[in-house]
Amino acid sequence: MTHDAHGDPQQPPEPKSPTFDGPPLSLEEELAAARAEPEPGPDIATVNEALDDGVNRCPKCGSTDVRLRGSTGMLVCLFCRHEWQEARVEEEFGLGEGIDDLQGTVIAGGAEDIDDDAGNVMTIKCGGCGAEVVVDTAHAMNARCHWCRHTLNVNQQTPNGAVPDAVLPFRLTHAEAVEKIREFASKRRLFAHPRFKKEFVPENVLGVYLPYLVIDARAEASYVGKGEVQTRRWTEGQGDNKTTYYAADVFRVDRSVAFTVDDLTVEGSADRAKVDSTTTNNIINTILPFDTKNAVKWNSSYLVGFTSEKRDLDVDELQPKLQDQLLSIGRSRVHDSLVEFDRGVRWEQEKVDVGGSRWVAMYLPVWLYSYFQEDTGMLHYIAVNARTGETMGSVPVSQWRLITAALTVGTVLEGAAGALLVAMS
Amino acid sequence: MIHLLVSEVAQSTSSDGGPLWLLAAGPAGGAATYWALFRYYRNTDKSHAYERDTLITAKPVQGSREKVDHISKTRQSGIDGDNSSQHRTRVTRLP
Repeated sequence: MTHDAHGDPQQPPEPKSPTFDGPPLSLEEELAAARAEPEPGPDIATVNEALDDGVNRCPKCGSTDVRLRGSTGMLVCLFCRHEWQEARVEEEFGLGEGIDDLQGTVIAGGAEDIDDDAGNVMTIKCGGCGAEVVVDTAHAMNARCHWCRHTLNVNQQTPNGAVPDAVLPFRLTHAEAVEKIREFASKRRLFAHPRFKKEFVPENVLGVYLPYLVIDARAEASYVGKGEVQTRRWTEGQGDNKTTYYAADVFRVDRSVAFTVDDLTVEGSADRAKVDSTTTNNIINTILPFDTKNAVKWNSSYLVGFTSEKRDLDVDELQPKLQDQLLSIGRSRVHDSLVEFDRGVRWEQEKVDVGGSRWVAMYLPVWLYSYFQEDTGMLHYIAVNARTGETMGSVPVSQWRLITAALTVGTVLEGAAGALLVAMS
Repeated sequence: MIHLLVSEVAQSTSSDGGPLWLLAAGPAGGAATYWALFRYYRNTDKSHAYERDTLITAKPVQGSREKVDHISKTRQSGIDGDNSSQHRTRVTRLP
């Protein structure tokens, strides 16, 4: 006689208890939910429909060993060497068109508001073997399946800001970046901090995709201030007591200019956007701009071998920065119209009306060398724009060498001035 | 402050006719050397020149001027608080 380990077969199985999904809704709430319109999609849908989370296969051989080939800017299958690329978003989503007609704030799917409750850690089901693999999207968008070695990719847009609308692939190779950084630092050896020189290893440079928001905007900026025009200039006094005097007309000046900007680029990471004397984030800001017109549709295979930093700023948080930059652009545009005010112009009030703006989230490629200076607690960067090669950096200085140089120059100049005075007396 | 000090020194003369402001050359040269080298190494003054490096299409500038005052005699060679070239210096925002 066999014993049924699962209990008496005559007894009906216990019904499965439903998953608890919160307290029941009231009748009014149920009715409102039934009548509700479906949630609107993004203004510009940029999901790469050809890809799912999980394995991205080479279209020719099906391998998942796919990564960016820097020298060509294309994806390459490491198994069959087939190369291909995603389409440029400029044409695919019409991002270069209609800036003159922009109305309101248009936000692409990858730039939508970040859900604070959305975690960074995602679990992807491996499309090769079915295992569940964890990806920390705060730093990487790919992972290896530890069972079958497939490369897994995060491709669907997530509400945590980790998946942008587009990616601009690395063009400069690691070796080229090392050379750029070495060249930059070698020009700054004499007064560099000795410990920095000792510990300088440019081969440690990291390739990182940093999050940016790329903005097209239509705006009109207005300025009001005072301008002065010199009417007379004369000198009073004799010999060494001469004094120059001026007479001038004072005008109330107003200027306005309407303009569009194409691909204005701002940092999408709060840590990186903070620019003050306690950071060297201005270094990373300086290597802008990128050739954002060449950005392609999102495919996380472009990120294999690189790290990434996820976006944590929403469009609303960046609106003041956009307005600030538009005001600066407007001021630079009206500058040439002020030549008649030969004594200068003092702007006192300003205003910007943003008629329309379009926001697209992008990952842009940066080779980043960082050095932590312990005695000051400062993190110094040397950054290379991985598209244009523009390099900028902050090299820690040896203060005593700098002061010695300043004292030497000061002493020489003072000696020369003293000798000149003696000669004149 | 430094500007005013240098200006005062520049206008003063020694009793024998030699310009005393020459004595400021040492400290001024030393400070200038320090800042020039510091900026060359640290690049604290650098940032993205988006006013110049962004694709901008602007319509013609509109504007007007209206005379509101006359300065009959001043020693200042330019307007006080000239910020026409400081594009990133924000002023009062109009609503």
